[in-house]
Amino acid sequence: MTDQLASAPSPTTTRKPASGGADRAPARPRRPSKGLKRQNRLVFLIPATAFLLAFSVYPLITLVRMSVSKVNSATLNGDWVFTGLENFRVGFASGETTQALWRTGLFVLVVTVVGMVGGLAAAIALRTTGRWSGIVLAVMVFVWALPPVVNGSVWKFLLGDAGLINTIVLKTGLVDSAIPFLYDQHWALASVAFVNSWSVIPFNALVFRAALMGISPEVFEASALDGANKWQEIRHIMLPAARPTTLVLFVLTVVFAFRSFDLIYVMTYGGPGTATNTLPFLGYLQAFVRYDFGLGSATSVFTVLFVIVLAVVYARSIRREESDS
Amino acid sequence: MKQTAGPVTITIKVLLTLLYGIPLFWILLTSFKSSADVMSTQSSIFFRPVTTAYVEAFNGELFTALGQSVAIALGTTALTMLIAIPAAYGLARTSGYITTIGLGLLIVFQMMPQTANVIPLFQLFGKWSMLDSVLGVVVADTALLAPFAIILLRPFFRGVPPELEEAASIDGSGMLRTFFSIVLPIARNGIFTAGTLVLLMSWGEFLYAVNFFLSPGSYPLSALLSQQVSAFGINWPGLMALAVLTSIPVLIVFSSTYKLLRDGLTVGAVK
Repeated sequence: MTDQLASAPSPTTTRKPASGGADRAPARPRRPSKGLKRQNRLVFLIPATAFLLAFSVYPLITLVRMSVSKVNSATLNGDWVFTGLENFRVGFASGETTQALWRTGLFVLVVTVVGMVGGLAAAIALRTTGRWSGIVLAVMVFVWALPPVVNGSVWKFLLGDAGLINTIVLKTGLVDSAIPFLYDQHWALASVAFVNSWSVIPFNALVFRAALMGISPEVFEASALDGANKWQEIRHIMLPAARPTTLVLFVLTVVFAFRSFDLIYVMTYGGPGTATNTLPFLGYLQAFVRYDFGLGSATSVFTVLFVIVLAVVYARSIRREESDS
Repeated sequence: MKQTAGPVTITIKVLLTLLYGIPLFWILLTSFKSSADVMSTQSSIFFRPVTTAYVEAFNGELFTALGQSVAIALGTTALTMLIAIPAAYGLARTSGYITTIGLGLLIVFQMMPQTANVIPLFQLFGKWSMLDSVLGVVVADTALLAPFAIILLRPFFRGVPPELEEAASIDGSGMLRTFFSIVLPIARNGIFTAGTLVLLMSWGEFLYAVNFFLSPGSYPLSALLSQQVSAFGINWPGLMALAVLTSIPVLIVFSSTYKLLRDGLTVGAVK
């Protein structure tokens, strides 16, 4: 059985576009005599390169320049005075950056754990091909495809003082007064983290499901003959099959949680007080609410550094995945 | 494979049905309530449905916003695909340090928090007179989504057998002609998947719209919604009606592409 498991195709090789036709191309394109000609294909990169240089790379350089300058609404379009690391110092001295870092860490941790475990649980539960599973999966993917403003709005409504959730907990007599889901600083961070996990679970479930669908039915039949129970099936068949995608998905979930701002914007706008100011959101507020563009840029530079670290981890894990398959 | 659903599986399924079904149901339910109903109790299921919220929502503002949303979403999708398709093909068919650096940068840009982009873009668009225009938002959205689209598309192009292209070139087809008549048709599933996702994401994007349009008069639907929900004293039925109207195009796109999304999404994510 273990042999079969080892050879169980990874989802990425089994679930490829239907029109993909013949087998995947080799990892590196073969280049016999036409080696040089192949590199001509680099001309296809020109439009995207030009566009991204102007609207992604140059803005990034501008962000770094703003972070070491004094930029406010008055000087935004004028000359900036170079202030070195002053903006960074101010961020730490006021305690804002440090607090936001801790908050972001906690937030990312909760969203990642709940999002990954929830996604895997959903994938295992929805792996069967019945009608109910199909409908639930479709509804989940639809929710994922909805604009985040729509999802944020409905959760703000559901979590309100007179909202559905509070009505239910009050009716059941668990609490005496409405839970301040969005008004209490601890509850607010938890609520926003919960809704973010909720909105990432459908995607994670899809990816895990693809991994589980790659397991050949014979493996389950064999394990059933051997008398394996449900937990053993999950532990020894499904989890190993999902492992290769787990690292990549883990990084993607961390990134999703880290850059999340739309649900925060809609549900709490960073409040109450600073309770749901994660690092990216803090940068936004500093720039566009307090008009201290320099300080906001400095905070954002931190988020970019963090993203670069994650990108390296991600690039390594997909490279491993590509060479495995 | 016959699987009998155990109690744990059933519990998870029920939980998921409730967690994802109720919010959808609640948006619809609330949009047909009157403000008075919502004032008295927000969570009643039985009430006299009224269409007041929709009647009030249908005004000039809504149609302007709808027009802006359509222009931004279609413009972004067209521009993104125009640059992403060739780039993804180029990256699928080349190797070496340029390709590696390109892919690395794309991953970084795909992961960049939007809040870090909006600050310098606001400054630069001010300088380039691109504020308060659909073009500015389309360009910003394209910069946001093109890296994602390229990374998603690349494995689809890698799935096109290079032998086919070699055969075409032996038959005298040039690089561009091979690309258009051989490669693109084979990779069409990937192109539809990426196009759909870019369309959906640009439809829902609101941070750029809120900051780059200088007056709410030219906001798209998503931005309008984001302003109403963070306002003080929310008109919930009106908000939910607006949410339903914003979601209808998503439902149309979703129902015609669901299978493609379900199967195509995971390819790009993991590759």
